[in-house]
Amino acid sequence: MKTDSIYGAYNEVLPQVMRTLTDKVIQFNWERVQSTGHPIYEHFNYRVKSEDSMREKCTRRGLPQTPESALLELKDSIGLRIITNFVDDIYKTAAFIRDLPNVTVITEKDYIKNVKPNGYRSYHMILQLEAPYEDIMGNNPGKWYAEVQLRTIAMDSWAALEHEMKYKKSIANSRMIESELKRVADELASCDVSMQTIRDLIREDEN
Amino acid sequence: MRILLAEDEKELSRALCAVLQHQGYETDAAYNGEAALELALSRSYDCMVFDIMMPKLDGVTAVRRIRDSGIVTPVIMLTAKAEVDDRVEGLDAGADDYLTKPFAMKELLARLRSMTRRSKAFTPTRLSLGSVTLNTEEQELIGSNSIRLAKKETKLMETLLLNPGRALSTRDLLTRVWPDEPDAEDGLVWIYISYLRQKLAAIGADVEIVGEKGQSFTLLKK
Repeated sequence: MKTDSIYGAYNEVLPQVMRTLTDKVIQFNWERVQSTGHPIYEHFNYRVKSEDSMREKCTRRGLPQTPESALLELKDSIGLRIITNFVDDIYKTAAFIRDLPNVTVITEKDYIKNVKPNGYRSYHMILQLEAPYEDIMGNNPGKWYAEVQLRTIAMDSWAALEHEMKYKKSIANSRMIESELKRVADELASCDVSMQTIRDLIREDEN
Repeated sequence: MRILLAEDEKELSRALCAVLQHQGYETDAAYNGEAALELALSRSYDCMVFDIMMPKLDGVTAVRRIRDSGIVTPVIMLTAKAEVDDRVEGLDAGADDYLTKPFAMKELLARLRSMTRRSKAFTPTRLSLGSVTLNTEEQELIGSNSIRLAKKETKLMETLLLNPGRALSTRDLLTRVWPDEPDAEDGLVWIYISYLRQKLAAIGADVEIVGEKGQSFTLLKK
């Protein structure tokens, strides 16, 4: 049955490759709690993209459903989502990941500074991980891709709502809903920035 | 800037129009109250000048009808004699200012400038400096992105944008933005300045608010 996987023989090692990165992120958060008393993130979710999603994405992108497509062409077989309380924590966490040994940043997209026209805000990184497992090209240590999305709780709630609307086929007044979503995205961004400001002021007073 | 001049003395009207046009205003001349009213209702003006004594329809009645139709364009009345009742009637009808004939051209020009300046300050919903625009109606601050502002943030940003390059003291800002809150503290200004600074940064603004806590603040282009 294993050979039926779109990830081929690599189906089993993918979670272990993922753990080489997630362990470091969890460790980083733990150290932050120890040193500052505050966690760097609020939730941390990660997954190996499901068989169905990966096959569907291959088809959507016009790629054959092969391990090469899933592990080399598409770069989100491993996906991490880090949800923070504050905007600053996104940049601090991104900087931590960028500087990790055995991690090479392939692309970084800051949709917080360059907001998508619909109002979407998030920080995206595509990484190449070096991990002690043979990869599809026969390298050992192998090279594996992972996608990291970082956003605040507010940005995450918004993205969930937008996702829901995108996958509903017919919504009455969809234009009005779109423009309301955009307005709400900007209002949430405003709250995020205000909360950051208040935290900075409190910390300034403490120092 | 377009001015409506309602004056039945043709010689005077021609002379006034010549001077106004020389000053860069566009002018429409009406020689009786009816014609003036018709123009006022059909075209948009930045200011209107109405003589009181005119054939067909007097200036006071014309202005009253203009106001009744919901037009708030500034109006200056020209009164033939220095009668207090005339002036009171004109102002009550909806005029914003008056001049007593004979008047100095210089003074009419100064009053026109004063009127149009004021109406501009009252009405704009979009204010800009550099690449930053504030839409006061929508409480939206726009740069390379946009962000929504709270009501008091909008008022504070508006005050700064109406006074670019000018140092506004914490006291000034407190009385302008929080006029109904006599107990408001200086710290309130500081936290709102802090909000705006981060929101300007969040939209990639090329303007900044300079100034220290408790001192004066100035909006400048970077």
